Parts: sequence; structure tokens; C-alpha cells
Amino acid sequence: MDVTAARTRAIRWPVIRPWLGVAARLGLAAVWLIAGATKVGDLAASGRAVNAYQVMPYELAAAIGAALPFVELALGALLLLGLATRLTAGVSAALLVVFVTGIASAWARGLAIDCGCFGSGGQLAAGQSPSYLPEILRDLGFLALAGFLLVWPRTPVSVDGWLAGDAHVEDDDE
Amino acid sequence: MSSRKGQRDAARVVREHLAREKRRKRTLWTSVGAVAVLVIAGLIGWSVWAGQRSDEFTTPKGASDASTGIVIGSGAVTIDLYEDYLCPACKQFQQLSGGTINQLVSEGKARVVFHPVAYLDRLSTTGYSTRASAASGCAADGGKFKEFTDALFERQPPEGSAGLSNQELIDIGAGVGLNRDDFGSCVSDGRYKPWTEHVTEDASRAGVTGTPTVKVNGKDVEDRSPDGIRAAVEAAGR
Repeated sequence: MDVTAARTRAIRWPVIRPWLGVAARLGLAAVWLIAGATKVGDLAASGRAVNAYQVMPYELAAAIGAALPFVELALGALLLLGLATRLTAGVSAALLVVFVTGIASAWARGLAIDCGCFGSGGQLAAGQSPSYLPEILRDLGFLALAGFLLVWPRTPVSVDGWLAGDAHVEDDDE
Repeated sequence: MSSRKGQRDAARVVREHLAREKRRKRTLWTSVGAVAVLVIAGLIGWSVWAGQRSDEFTTPKGASDASTGIVIGSGAVTIDLYEDYLCPACKQFQQLSGGTINQLVSEGKARVVFHPVAYLDRLSTTGYSTRASAASGCAADGGKFKEFTDALFERQPPEGSAGLSNQELIDIGAGVGLNRDDFGSCVSDGRYKPWTEHVTEDASRAGVTGTPTVKVNGKDVEDRSPDGIRAAVEAAGR
């Protein structure tokens, strides 16, 4: 019984893994596409959200705030296509680490801001309390998706797989 | 026999080596392509933003020296108010402390610089914050900035709505005694939209991250109650 269970598990993992990979890839793609789309309509506001963290001069914050939504949309599109998955997962993970660090530092410094992760952002109105912990936990969840793709970048229905010519070849050195 | 096997092995090693080389190249080029896409996306964002900034604006009458707000009164102590016409907390603040501020101005103790920032354009479907702020510049031209501001907060539309239409803004202006033709064309033309952008950017630069923000002689006031503001003004005036 135990042996059978172990064997089915051993068989299952290679079967399930590619599809978990697709789910992680599309999930992370959706995160970036939504995050970018909610910010892209008001680039000045996106710059203000970055500036609210008070970690860099205003001009730099405004420029980064303007560039960020487009980078997020591009990351989302690349993940959706499954092109250079390991690289985009790595960039995603790096960005998420920066975001988590930023939120944690805002928390530590006692700033009362909205993280500005999906639009809005900036200082909170009086009486509103920040929700740093849920924001950080959410970003760590996204980080787990990126981590999965970093380790196992090859997923079905991806441009990477199509370029390799054979989606069934399990070479993980992409 | 053994040499034939040796040849086969050698051929396999070469084949594997070539396949690995091909994979390596493919990975390299897809990575280069992906990095290029990300960098170009960032540059697009930056240039769109740079293109959106207009550096020429017309200053309405009654604006402060740097043209970053409208001045009310002439007292010694300066109260800077950063407010968005769509922000519910600003409306509450006006209801709670507006009377005290009016009193400080009429007693000659303070002058108000009102900065009508457009921080919440995304919270209406028509960029109401910008339209309302630009209209307040038109009202300043007609000498009715204060009256128009009070009327706008009274008629504040909810966040997430379309906001008040330009026609409604014009009607409100006419209601507080502005010339319907002059004010109307100013609002319809969006004459002061570049000014609104200037006001908003100046506030961001000054570290104003939310509305309402109140400063007395340049210092942030945390306690925005009537007592808090009066105390801050009296402390600054001493």
C-alpha cells in the first residue's frame, strides 16, 4: 500500500509539474498585467505612489513611477507567452523582493501609506490604517510563483517549449 | 569492434555537444530579446510621462508667487491647504475646520494658500479632480475662488462616479456670481488644466502624498481639528 502510494506520487509529480508550471506562469502574468493596467492610466499618480515611500528624490521617484507600469505590462506579456521564462521569473522575483523591502521599510519607519501595488497609493486619509502585513504576505505568495518558475521554467504551451522543438524534453537548462 | 564503438561514442558526444551549444545560443538570444523588451517598455513609460508634462501654463489671478495655489487673506502666518475636490476627507475637513480658518483669515492672523491638487483623477471616470481644479482657476480669475471652492465641496460627487459635468461646474460658478460667459468658456476650454498640473506636481515635490495636507508656515500640522489649527497658527505667529 505504502509502496504503491509512493510510486503513484513518484509518477504523478512529473505529470503534474508542467501544469503547475503553467498555472504559476499564467498566474504571475495576470498579477503583472493587472498591476500595470491599473497604474498606466495616470503615470503622475504612479510616480507619487513611489515618492510616498520617501526613499529617493522626487524626480527619480517620478521617473521610476512612470516606467514601472510599462515594465510590469511587458513582464506580464512575456510570461503569458512563456518567452525566456526563467529570466522573466528572475526579474519578477527581484522586483517583488524590492516591493516587499519597500513596504517593510515603510512599516518600520511608521509611514501611513497605501503600497500603491494595484493603482491608488500615497498617503492614507486620517482614520485609515495601513495593511502592510497582508500586502507583504500577498507579495510573498507572488514570489513563490516566481520561485517555482525559476526552478522549473519549462512549461507546456510556451514559446520556450515551441522554440526547443519538443515540449516533452525535460531539459531544465533554459 | 572496440574502435567502432569508440567512433559511435565520439559521434554521440559531438552530437550532444552541438545540441547543448544550440540550446545555449537559443537561451542567450531569448534572454537578450526579453531584456530588450523590458528596457524598451521602461523607456516608453518614461517618454510617455515626459511627453505628458507641459511646462507652460497660465497663472490665474490671485495666485501665490510661485503660482502653486490661490491666496486668500493677508495675515502674517501662512496656512497651506492641499486639497482635492473629489476627496471625501477634504470635504470633512472643510466642514470641521473651514469656519475656524475663515475666522483666522478675517481676524487678519493668517493668510491661506489653497492648492487645488488633482491627485485622484483615477477615482472618477472623467478626470474630475483636474477639471474641478482647472475650473477653480477660472473662478479665481472672476474673484470668486473661495465661494466656488465652498460650493464644490458642498456638491462633491462620490468617488468612482463621473463627477460633475463641465456644464454643472459652469452652473455652480454662475450660482456663486461668476460671469457665465467668461467663466463658461474658461471651463470648457480647460484653460487652467496646465496650471492644475503645475500645482499638483509642485505639491508632490513638496512631499505632499495625500489630501488634505495642512501646513502652517511650512510645517505639517497633524491635528487638523479647529483647535489644532488655531494653536498651530498662534504658535507660529508668536
